[in-house]
Amino acid sequence: MCKYREVPLDVASSEEDLVVHIEHFAMSFAARTVIEDLSFDIRRGETFGFLGSNGSGKTTTIRALLGIYRATSGTLLVEGKPFDPASGIRLGYLPEERGLYKKEPVIDVMVYFGRLKGLNHDDAKKWSMAFLERVELEAQAQIRLDKLSSGQQQKVQLGVTIMNNPTLLILDEPTKGFDPINRRLLMDIIEDQRRAGATVMMVTHQMDEVERLCDRVVLLKDGRAEAYGTISAIQDLYGGTTIKIRYSGDIPDSDLYTIAIRERNHAELKAASGASDAQVLKYLVDAGVAVSEFSTGRPSLDEIFLKVYGNESNKAGSA
Amino acid sequence: MRRHNLRTVIAFEVRRTLNKRRFWLATLIVPVVMIAVFGLIQASSQSTQNSLAAQKKVTFSFAYSDASGYVSAPLIAKLGGVNVTSPAKGIALVRSGRIDAYFEFPKDLLTQTVQVFAKDVGVFNNGRYSTIATDILQSSADQAIHSPTLATLARGSIKVSVTTYSGGSPTPGIGGLIPPLIFLIIFYVIILLLGNQMLSSTLEEKENRVTEMILTTVDSTTLILGKVLSLFTIGLVQILIFLAPLGVGYAFMRTSLNLPNLHLSTLVFNPVRITIGALLLLAGFSLFSVTLVAIGAIVPTAKEAGSFFGGMMALIFVPFYAVSLILSHPNSLISHVFTFFPYSAPVTGMLRNAFGSLSVAASITVIIELFIFAAIVLRIAVQLFRYGSIEYSRKVNVKAALGLSRSPR
Repeated sequence: MCKYREVPLDVASSEEDLVVHIEHFAMSFAARTVIEDLSFDIRRGETFGFLGSNGSGKTTTIRALLGIYRATSGTLLVEGKPFDPASGIRLGYLPEERGLYKKEPVIDVMVYFGRLKGLNHDDAKKWSMAFLERVELEAQAQIRLDKLSSGQQQKVQLGVTIMNNPTLLILDEPTKGFDPINRRLLMDIIEDQRRAGATVMMVTHQMDEVERLCDRVVLLKDGRAEAYGTISAIQDLYGGTTIKIRYSGDIPDSDLYTIAIRERNHAELKAASGASDAQVLKYLVDAGVAVSEFSTGRPSLDEIFLKVYGNESNKAGSA
Repeated sequence: MRRHNLRTVIAFEVRRTLNKRRFWLATLIVPVVMIAVFGLIQASSQSTQNSLAAQKKVTFSFAYSDASGYVSAPLIAKLGGVNVTSPAKGIALVRSGRIDAYFEFPKDLLTQTVQVFAKDVGVFNNGRYSTIATDILQSSADQAIHSPTLATLARGSIKVSVTTYSGGSPTPGIGGLIPPLIFLIIFYVIILLLGNQMLSSTLEEKENRVTEMILTTVDSTTLILGKVLSLFTIGLVQILIFLAPLGVGYAFMRTSLNLPNLHLSTLVFNPVRITIGALLLLAGFSLFSVTLVAIGAIVPTAKEAGSFFGGMMALIFVPFYAVSLILSHPNSLISHVFTFFPYSAPVTGMLRNAFGSLSVAASITVIIELFIFAAIVLRIAVQLFRYGSIEYSRKVNVKAALGLSRSPR
């Protein structure tokens, strides 16, 4: 069995809802085991964060999912079957290793990939020009890729990735190498794709992006899923809700919370699993505590990431 | 979808190759050099003929002595030559500047040399003296023969046509040899010119880190097949470009270029030999191209790919070390080995086919064998690219890429 701290899903998923299904996936390179036993699903239409420290096996998992690596064992399915480019699945994949045909003009490369993704020449060209206009590169359409800056090349690569409206978008560290302005632009484009119905699987170390964009995440550690579920559920798992109050009177003990800090007129309570903020407040008021200020907070994903991986994230290399 | 993608890959690969300045430089350099050489030969031939004609027309004063008795005195008199009694006197006349040249015709014209003593008119113009001396002797001989036909025959200007028979039927001779041999020449030219491109055709994906994008967009078999077919198309373009100046040279400058006076009507196009030659070319090209593509898939850089190129080229030249044995003893062991070993089979097969020593049954066997090998190597090339090219700058673990051991790396 896969050992991870799973947060129960709020809605049961039928097989038709699953765009990606990974079950008991293991991957070894010679004597080195990168993934021991990994299982998770990605549901249709959701934005899924695939998180882990450097070298934890995120890229390896994606490559195995897309058939670039042969899995040592386990099942990896996209739309219910092993991925094959000829299967007709509209996939957009932005790999961590970036690159396109650098000696060719921007428009030729985009049209080439558009044609390979099933568009006819005119549609591919029209789409490419519209995209280049959006990312302010229309003047560079006829210029060779290697004459563009690395940021501009990344924009072109993103364009190639989202051509022909992919139903599954896999982005491996999409903002790597982007300045804040282009990062914002990239996030808007991803959001557009999501709104258009694409399922998004995202590998990133930008936890603010994960909190803002992702519905669910899996945290990969030591070749296994350390945690898997919605962000709020994972926040609950790694610290839950912290309630800060300014008060007068005595705070009684209760099953609804534990008292983390108790000072004169100020206290911090950890809400018990399943206890809502409102329940705690009502309990305190009913118990005669005069509450003058009440605020709640949760640990950020950054904090959770640090807690899970500690110094591991400083390991070099990515598998 | 696969067919659409195959067409897309071929179009992209062909277009970007044809758009490269480097390709045209490499391709056009051969016909340009050929045209330049043809032009120089033509110009030089014309100038030599003009010079010879001019030298014949030039007039200068001369004396002669004839110990052979073959020189026609009336002819010499018409040219204004003066007979002198001794060589010493003739030389003295030249030295004193009273005449321009003195010709000493020896007693035995077959073993002895005609001596010419003359006023120096420059290295190139001095040739006129020997031209006149030769002309005097040829014209004297023509006059002595008294028959233009005999004179022509004596000069060896004879046209001979040989018709040979085998099994009661006329054999085609050299006219039948040339058409199927053209396939061998095409094979060499294509492999030599495109070999490096074949090796590096998948390297670009690696070096530019396009592998993951492309492998998740197009089926790897379609991609590799598209690259091989695009190479074939490019090869055809190059062949046409190379043949163009040859055609022009043959059509317009045949005489001055000393090309064999072989009219197209004398060529014999045996449909069986031509078909076998074409199929051997196609099968051989297929095998060599997919092999080079497979090698390209396992090496990380163009530099390292280059070291394999020499080995592959050696394979296509090896049959020439034993060419005389292969042609004279087609049933010898070495001939059989070279005919059926896949990497020497195309050259040996095309040679033997041209010389008519490869039976139809053996030809079919070789062609089928080559196509089967090409298909197997294509499969291997696809696997190596699919599971090996992701190694990017690392060398590929071939066993792992082919699924014969654990995963790569």
